[in-house]
Amino acid sequence: MKRIGYILLLLFVSQNFWAQERKFQVNGDARGYMFAKNMLIDPALDSINAPRANYGHTLLDLGFSIFPNANTEIISSFRIRNELGGFWGGGVSFNVRQLTLRGVAGNVVKYNLGDIDLKMTPYTLYNFQEEGSINEAEIFSLRRQVVHYDMFYMPNNTWRMQGAQIGFGLQFNKFLKAIEFSGFITRQRPTDGITIPERLFGGGTITWKQNDKLQFAFNSISLFDLTRTISDSIRYKNNVNTFSLKYRNAINENIDWGFDAEAGFSNVNYINYVNPLAPDLQNDWFYDASFNMHFKKPKIVMNLGYKDVGADFFSPGAQTKRVDFTKFPGVFQQYTNAALGRPINLTDIINFNADYSFQIQDRLMAYNVAYDNINPHGIATPNRRGVYLNAERSDSVKFKRSFIQIAQLFESRGMGTNLKKSFTSIGAGTDIRINDFLGWKRELIVNLGVRHDITSRGGDVFEKINLSSTLIDFGLSVNLVGKLDILFGAKYFQAKGNEFITQRNAFNTVNNFQAIDLDVSETTFAAGLRYKFSEKNQLLVNYQNHQLKNKTTGGINYGISQFNILYTLTF
Amino acid sequence: MKNLIIYSFLVSLIFGCRKDDKINFDGPSLADSFGPFAIIQDLSINQYEVDFSAGQQVVFSMELSKNTNWIIQIEGENSGAVRTIIGNERILSLDNAVWTGGANKFPSFNLEKAYITITFPNEADSPTLLDSVLITGLKQDQGFLITSFEEGLGAAWQQFNQTTVAGTITCDPALAAKGSCFYSWNGTVGWDWAIGSVTIRPPAGGSFGLPANANNLFFNIAFKALQNVGPQNSFLLFWFDEDDNGDGVFTLNSEDRFIFEYWSNTLDWDLISRKYADLKFDADGNVQQTNGNGLTEPSKLISINVFFLANPNNGNAQAYADHLIFTLNEPYQP
Repeated sequence: MKRIGYILLLLFVSQNFWAQERKFQVNGDARGYMFAKNMLIDPALDSINAPRANYGHTLLDLGFSIFPNANTEIISSFRIRNELGGFWGGGVSFNVRQLTLRGVAGNVVKYNLGDIDLKMTPYTLYNFQEEGSINEAEIFSLRRQVVHYDMFYMPNNTWRMQGAQIGFGLQFNKFLKAIEFSGFITRQRPTDGITIPERLFGGGTITWKQNDKLQFAFNSISLFDLTRTISDSIRYKNNVNTFSLKYRNAINENIDWGFDAEAGFSNVNYINYVNPLAPDLQNDWFYDASFNMHFKKPKIVMNLGYKDVGADFFSPGAQTKRVDFTKFPGVFQQYTNAALGRPINLTDIINFNADYSFQIQDRLMAYNVAYDNINPHGIATPNRRGVYLNAERSDSVKFKRSFIQIAQLFESRGMGTNLKKSFTSIGAGTDIRINDFLGWKRELIVNLGVRHDITSRGGDVFEKINLSSTLIDFGLSVNLVGKLDILFGAKYFQAKGNEFITQRNAFNTVNNFQAIDLDVSETTFAAGLRYKFSEKNQLLVNYQNHQLKNKTTGGINYGISQFNILYTLTF
Repeated sequence: MKNLIIYSFLVSLIFGCRKDDKINFDGPSLADSFGPFAIIQDLSINQYEVDFSAGQQVVFSMELSKNTNWIIQIEGENSGAVRTIIGNERILSLDNAVWTGGANKFPSFNLEKAYITITFPNEADSPTLLDSVLITGLKQDQGFLITSFEEGLGAAWQQFNQTTVAGTITCDPALAAKGSCFYSWNGTVGWDWAIGSVTIRPPAGGSFGLPANANNLFFNIAFKALQNVGPQNSFLLFWFDEDDNGDGVFTLNSEDRFIFEYWSNTLDWDLISRKYADLKFDADGNVQQTNGNGLTEPSKLISINVFFLANPNNGNAQAYADHLIFTLNEPYQP
């Protein structure tokens, strides 16, 4: 035991935490965002809804980090937001955006309390990317980042939650390298005291690091209702337990190879529900195993894997979507003389017009089959099995980053028929530094991305499916002079064919199918100027035109043009 | 390399145990909803002579190849009454395809042959199924029947007709809303809106014996305007006279008369229904000024005056009224 030493595993501690001399630090983000939008639709189709919308806001996120002692940090962020047009405080809101206490207890246990960002594995807790981009242009991604920032969708796929988190580790000199423990508990939903019980979400990981090459982990996560928070005894409980393995080894000094795998079970209980549709128990399992190669020169990573996710595998933390497609967009919510709800399109998602998730959902959320029918609920999408291949090269100077993503998946259980759907997805993208080819000093970068998805199912006429969709992203970024860039972006999306939209009840049980035919295209062009005052301070002025053509019977064609100004500052 | 072989073997093992559910599928069968249409089991009817008054009912049974919309339409040979039953289940049975003798609206069915037509509107080239049943007994009404005009004028009734108006009970099963007889007005009154009226009273005097609660009691009558029709042209005016002091006589100066008018809007039989408690409100929703206690008290109702009025500038006016009945909890179901 004497040889066993403790080690602190400070996984999330920032550089500031260790700046012991500092007692106080101020940082923040400021933003100004203005829109002028026009709905472009045939007046014969829509003469009742206002075709123009002008709005915007300025805001300041003022963050304070306080270091009361060497092992404690208090992080707070306050948001002051002013809607344009709300003079003299009329449109001003003041919110606490973050309040976190973190530190190390007894020099052993690291803890976080309050607002925390959490992620585990892609099958337990993982905030996967929303639909509609594949290496998209900077003129789009700059605006998408605003959504991600506001909704706490971090690049490392974490979910922002409120609760407590702890972590500690043990290091060994013999037999194994280390064991790490981490756990969290968060509050997902308060009770109303009458019919809705309090809901918590908790989990943890035990990681066994055998050596530098091999590690195992046991992951467990649970979304559950707390008993006795209402007089009724109904209770929802979802448990997901997985076992993961990671192995790395070197073939030679230039090539490493590895093996990653995760397998586990989920079970869902609807306890004491009187609704006869509530199943007593739903359980299923999954596995995902991949073989990977890491070439150091050139720097290429290849990952070839196979997964099988059961049709009843429900993991809310990994399957909750960012965008709720059942809701209508915030701007031009209704269109046509019949005042129909306008479905969310790809630019609504970029422009912060969609309804975004900030809580883990116990139901598989509705999705748009045109935008993503392959993995609509992320990597952990239930009822998918098959092979996938991802490859990425990231060391080339002229081709800044290139990647290819291929998947051939199948259903493991039919939907409304014994026949299974097959899903094929091929995607690729690259950033090309044209200036390097031409020998220019000023940057001229082209972004390219293409993804083509096919869903098919054979059988009789009534059950056949043939749906294909294509997404093309193109971007151009040119440094004109000094700190001034011209940005251009184009996004083309097209979907054609037929599908059956799966409808589920409140208990995730499939209860109906809606047959749809699709012949839709979306074309978006955007052009603008960006002035970089510094790397953390920029101004973007751009114009965008979006056209949606729906050739399906009864489909509505329309467009939205917009001019917007986005100013961002981080300090 | 040895490790590579070991892990490849492990991977093969995992792939070997993959699931392949060939028997079950999620959700309802697509064949049931979107498959080809066919009649698996022909239509059968549980009885071809039905006495609804004895509680009998007609049950349609059939099995289809898929869930699809189906419409059963039943039409009376003489009355012209229509009953429609709609569904979209694959199997027609006691659960979803039963006829208990009612009609969609007035006119009601008579003792007659009823023709049955079954169609499948969403299925191109689908057959139309035809059949018929004989009605030997009529559906029993639930409620307090005041009159269906089948027994002639009541002894205590009072009639008023302009000199140029024929206003009386007429009997013709093909024209009545229910049964054979109805009250009709027909005439031209170029100088006045008033056409004619009939004041209905219990035969032995006193009240109609209705329950005391006005909140769940509905007044119902069938009304059909044939000439001078329209919401600006003709209407029925009802006086509900209550004997507030219980002396057996209605005194306008000291007791409640609730007035309700209903303008014609169709050439078909129309069901007029109004909750008794709502009679105290006028057409604008304001509380009517009455001379009694102001309470709607159906147990004190001693006469109902049915008054037909029409625009004198439009020429001849003609209308029918039939089947005056009070029902509990809901409007009358023809």
